[in-house]
Amino acid sequence: MTDLALQTSSLAKTYGSRQPVHALRPLDLEVARGEVFGLLGPNGAGKTTLVKLLLGLVRPTEGTASVLGAPITEAAARQRAGYLPEGHRFPPFLTARQTLDLLARMAGVSAADRDSRAPRLLDLVRLGGAANRKTGGFSKGMLQRLGIAQALMNSPEIVFLDEPTDGVDPVGRREIRDLIEGLRDDGVTVFLNSHLLSEVERICSRVAILKDGAVVRDGTVDDLTRQGRAWRLVSTPLPAALAARLGDALAPEAETLPGGLVRSLVTVPDRPALNALLDALRAEAVEVEAVEPARQSLEDLFVEVVTADAP
Amino acid sequence: MTGLLLLTLRELRARKVVIGLFVIATIVWVALALALQLDVVDGSLAGARLFGEDAINDEAYNAEGVLVDAEGNVVLNDDGEPRRLNDQYPFGSTLLESFVFGAQAFVSGAAYWVGILLALFATGGLVASLTERGQVDVLLTKPLSRSAVLAGRLGGVWLVMLGLVVYLFGAVWLVMSLKSGLWNPRFLLAIPVVFSMFAVMYGVIALVGVWSGSGPLSLMSTLALLFVSLVLAIPELPNQVSQTWRPLVEGAYHVLPKFGNVGVEVVPQLATGQPVAGAYALASSLAFGAICYLAAFILFARKDY
Repeated sequence: MTDLALQTSSLAKTYGSRQPVHALRPLDLEVARGEVFGLLGPNGAGKTTLVKLLLGLVRPTEGTASVLGAPITEAAARQRAGYLPEGHRFPPFLTARQTLDLLARMAGVSAADRDSRAPRLLDLVRLGGAANRKTGGFSKGMLQRLGIAQALMNSPEIVFLDEPTDGVDPVGRREIRDLIEGLRDDGVTVFLNSHLLSEVERICSRVAILKDGAVVRDGTVDDLTRQGRAWRLVSTPLPAALAARLGDALAPEAETLPGGLVRSLVTVPDRPALNALLDALRAEAVEVEAVEPARQSLEDLFVEVVTADAP
Repeated sequence: MTGLLLLTLRELRARKVVIGLFVIATIVWVALALALQLDVVDGSLAGARLFGEDAINDEAYNAEGVLVDAEGNVVLNDDGEPRRLNDQYPFGSTLLESFVFGAQAFVSGAAYWVGILLALFATGGLVASLTERGQVDVLLTKPLSRSAVLAGRLGGVWLVMLGLVVYLFGAVWLVMSLKSGLWNPRFLLAIPVVFSMFAVMYGVIALVGVWSGSGPLSLMSTLALLFVSLVLAIPELPNQVSQTWRPLVEGAYHVLPKFGNVGVEVVPQLATGQPVAGAYALASSLAFGAICYLAAFILFARKDY
């Protein structure tokens, strides 16, 4: 069994031939089993195209890909995969329970497993009380939660979630986040496509940012959001002479904190330089409360990346 | 595929119009059972009343048992002789046969011309709805081949329509047979013919539905094709168009389904026991339907969603 949940090799999709639209440029991507992977990008970046390629909804123009070791062109690739599409529609004449039962039957889930999983999953997504109600009367949030339940009916090893919290209230969002974390703890790979960057930042271990059909950033959230060799220093105020000596290494603005402390941003080339700085501070009787790597939010990074010129 | 078959059956049940078709079929055979009174004596039809009115126009025959028209003129048969009571009937060799066969021909004709149209209206949007965004994403990401997905949808429609045709024809056949004592099994042969022609026309809906994703367009295309096939069925048509267009008209006649020809040359003949002249029309229509389904399956398998 491969350690990779999914793998792409020069996977690309171009629509049209006269005026070709490169929805996805040749992409090499690997997602490990058990990873929570976030795919980010502005509208039209190619996120949905990538997910659809991986699930066989769209045929690649070039390249290959596999999901759980099976080529995406084969139905076997979807045997252990769950999918929550964006803007999904369920037959309004079916109850929540019937919907799960029928879709799970299509996924090859046995009758006994369907009978045991459906009530459990409906309870998990807080739809236990609406199990026998027709989905035509469901709110958007309820439909979204039902969509998540159907994606999990076949006990998938990988789940593709396209905007899972779309239309869900804050409490529901938190529950979905907990649910995803639970999946991760159970070893399920989660491929998350979301516009809610704070959500992605909290849940995902690794993210990729797509822009114009190409990956422009890829890495762990820690690595991507870390601002080079900058550090946030919480201490008693720095003496003016020391501040002058630090020069450009010290950002001009310092944030005043309660308890007579300040938060400063310092940039040093390496670890020895950081320790030398700390020695200098102590020598000047500056009391250090905390030193931590400076980070920008994923949202700031996202905006910076997508508004930058083409790579 | 079973899951999609069940989904389609439930969707058809949810569409009240399909239930309406079964209700209409029920009304037909119940009305026939309750309203038709046959007086059969020694295997001969002595009288027939529909809703209490005489269904056999005795007044058409004069005192000598000769058929006369509205002006009192004697009607002649093909040999130039006066047509007599119990002499020559439109269907069958006796008045009873003629009445029963005629009634069955009427039902099968109505089921063919009206029933198929209603069935197309009732089920026309089902293929296109399968390809709607949000639904197709969920279905195609199940570990099923695309052929199985489309086959499940088409199979569900076929199953319901076959059930409807069997129900209507079977019930009418039983009612007429029990009332008249005359069992006409050939009438039941109209079942596969009517169903086959529905399936042929539904092939167009399947192809256009998969190609365009539009229910109304697939239905309109099918109705347009049906109309064209009726026009092409006019025997004099090739002689009435210019030499330039004649090969096109004749070619189109042979290629397209022959809905009109089958309705005139096959369905009533099966009910009345007359020789079937439209075997080519039926066979070539089935071939057209098969090609439509094949194209729909290929297109569905290759299309991006």
